Amino acid sequence: MAKVKVATVWLEACSGCHMSFLDIDEAIVELVNAVEFTRSPITDIKEFSPVDVGIVEGSVGNAEEEEVLKELRANCKILMAWGDCACFGGVCGMRSTFDKDEVLRRAYIETESTCDGKIPRPPGVPALLEQVKPANHVVKVDCYVPGCPPDAKTILYALKELLEGRLPVLPSDMMRFD
Amino acid sequence: MNEITLTINGKQVKGKEGDTILEVCRANNIDLPTLCHYDGLSDVAACRLCLVEIEGERRVMPACTYPARDGLVVQTHTEKLEKYRRLILELMFTEKNHLCAQCVASGECELQALAYRYQMDNLRYPLSWPSLPVDSVNKYLVVDHNRCVLCGRCIRACDEFAGIHTLDFGYRGWRDRVVADLGQPLGESSCISCGACFQVCPTGAIFSKSSAYKGKSSECEQVTSVCPICGVGCEIKAFVKDNRLVKIDSPDLSKPRGLLCNKGRFSPLQPFAKRVLTPLKRSDGKLEPCSLNEAIEIVGARLREIKTRYGSNSIAGLISGQLSNESAKAFKDFITGSLGSKQLDSLDGDCLRLVMQVLQDAKKNLKDIEVSSLEELLEADCLFVAGAAPLETHPVVGSYVVRAVKRNGANLIVLDATGNSFPYQATLWLHPEQGKEALVMKALAKLIIDEGLVSASNKNKKRVAALADVKTADVCKQTGIEYAQLSNAASMLAKARRCIVVYGQGVLQYRNPELLGLFFDLADILESDNRVTKTLWLKPKGNSGGQWDLGVVNTGEFSVAKLSKNKSIKALYLLLGDDWTEAPELASRPTGVEFLVLQTSFVSPIVSEADVVLPSPLWTEVSATYTTLDGLNKRVARLVRPPEGIRADWELINEVDRRLSK
Repeated sequence: MAKVKVATVWLEACSGCHMSFLDIDEAIVELVNAVEFTRSPITDIKEFSPVDVGIVEGSVGNAEEEEVLKELRANCKILMAWGDCACFGGVCGMRSTFDKDEVLRRAYIETESTCDGKIPRPPGVPALLEQVKPANHVVKVDCYVPGCPPDAKTILYALKELLEGRLPVLPSDMMRFD
Repeated sequence: MNEITLTINGKQVKGKEGDTILEVCRANNIDLPTLCHYDGLSDVAACRLCLVEIEGERRVMPACTYPARDGLVVQTHTEKLEKYRRLILELMFTEKNHLCAQCVASGECELQALAYRYQMDNLRYPLSWPSLPVDSVNKYLVVDHNRCVLCGRCIRACDEFAGIHTLDFGYRGWRDRVVADLGQPLGESSCISCGACFQVCPTGAIFSKSSAYKGKSSECEQVTSVCPICGVGCEIKAFVKDNRLVKIDSPDLSKPRGLLCNKGRFSPLQPFAKRVLTPLKRSDGKLEPCSLNEAIEIVGARLREIKTRYGSNSIAGLISGQLSNESAKAFKDFITGSLGSKQLDSLDGDCLRLVMQVLQDAKKNLKDIEVSSLEELLEADCLFVAGAAPLETHPVVGSYVVRAVKRNGANLIVLDATGNSFPYQATLWLHPEQGKEALVMKALAKLIIDEGLVSASNKNKKRVAALADVKTADVCKQTGIEYAQLSNAASMLAKARRCIVVYGQGVLQYRNPELLGLFFDLADILESDNRVTKTLWLKPKGNSGGQWDLGVVNTGEFSVAKLSKNKSIKALYLLLGDDWTEAPELASRPTGVEFLVLQTSFVSPIVSEADVVLPSPLWTEVSATYTTLDGLNKRVARLVRPPEGIRADWELINEVDRRLSK
């Protein structure tokens, strides 16, 4: 039976959800019998190819992340969101409570240890979006695994549901936002 | 109450006339989600989570405010209603910045629990990301508006449970926000930091600095007890994790003495001062740690020696009025029994004896003239508060006063030179120059009698004679009070049907029996066929009443004031417990005292004067009994274990007693 192809991206993220996924420890041995990871920070493969399942960690905060997410969406049949940032905006969305230019000024000029700071602009760096968005506000997302990060057991449960042909909706007793 | 029958979700259920649909659901185990409802507070139907479908009604209705009627047919969990609930939650989450990962309340947040219940794993609405303030100016509480769902429970708790009504909604529409007074930081407002808002807040919008991140309630052991700090005796529920106090809540904010205050709720969680953790003995002029055995040996030996050389009455014992009945009794038995000394007193002995003496001279019994229970304050229609700032010293009493003003339209007359007592709530503030209170009381009495506001009975004719040379105009000039104010006060008092005179240290501090007597006179003047007048004495320490009942105070032969004059005191045993003394007579070792033993929890200035220091536990670390302001005996349960080697005060005293007799 052909392996299910999976691609993952991390956007405006801390990588915690990917690390939590790796906390499935030895269960990964059985998993890779059924699943092939293609483009992913874990494999370090950098090009997109058509996959069955796309997984996004992190929210969309700049133009490049928006592009990457759209490319992932175009290349996968089912898109799953991992973590509070992808599902709700999360910690990475906190800068949205401030004006975008204020954020850039604070980060690149006003920080106490900076001398002669300069705000980097496109095309050198991707443009910041006005506000950070959760994944489903940019592309269609099919299923969600919230948490910060969701724990390994929960991620594994969601993946197994997919492998058995069902779109997972976490039951209440598995839902965590922290 | 008549029984009614409704059909809810196709089943016949019973309720009582006057119930809301929500109450009928709760009584029949129908789990209707709510957020702005809180048992004991009025309902406002703000959150809309409890919307139900009622046959005959065109629109969905909130169950928390809709009166249940016989024959109603209700649906509580249709697909449409469940969808609405999910929408409401998504609207709440997108309106503000609800970041669970860093929040103190995560794991015990009602908003989060509802989101889990409705399996909310994404948000369909655009996120607002508003820029909202965090107010951490208050000493104990933080208000984080990013987490607020505008349920209004804090506002209603501040109004209905506490009575202070500091909080309310400010601004409009999407800028709507909970504000303190006219938009001040909470720490610069009329807030008394009772923490009721913190307890009722469903999210992490209002949280306590001293409980934050110490542990979730579900991880804690819960201990029911009573707080002994001020003498009101509020019931408390303590949350303890790994022998550490995490949080102190009220078991029921809606019940009498259920309010709590910043003293009982927060101070046990914040380190007050450095603890005395080991016994100390003086060696080569310095205090150094020693074993308990050694410390007790020294105390026993020196007391025995001083008793032999100078006699029993050369040994004096002073106890703080904060200590429990058990500690007080053991101390009294030790000083007056084993040591045979008459020199025993509480640090507040002079105040307590003053009250008793004045009462005796007036041929009155404290029990007859005082309120028989603090809750009588809630029924008053006139309150006269003198020399006391209850909102600071006995906040629950202060709350009762404020509630009487709000609910009964009671007149609150405050006699206070400082302006600290009920600054936002007094109906009439009499503010004489400091020290002139007696003149005010005399002028008030004279006005009441002269203007025929009370019947001229025999008692009053005698008083008229005694007040003959009091000229109201002169009093006004001497005290700085306007005649109109005195006149108003007089008519307010005379109009009352249930009047309570509350007095405290501000009156007793002058040690003036005449002044105190004038307050009892006032109560006497007002007492009549259709007017009940009682007094309430806000005793100086939490267990002043209990210690008086045990006979610790009534001898009067000795007091802290007499200490400096009595050169025959050679040994002093100072039992402070977890209290702190600022008595000027104890600022340094009293002259002539050759041996000073101090039993205390905290390193206060007097520690450096002692020869032996024995460590005391805190009230949270021992099970003991205390007597409330209104004479109720309460058992205070132990909340946490004391530090290694520290035992109950009475156990230490008994140990010293045993060594003494050896």
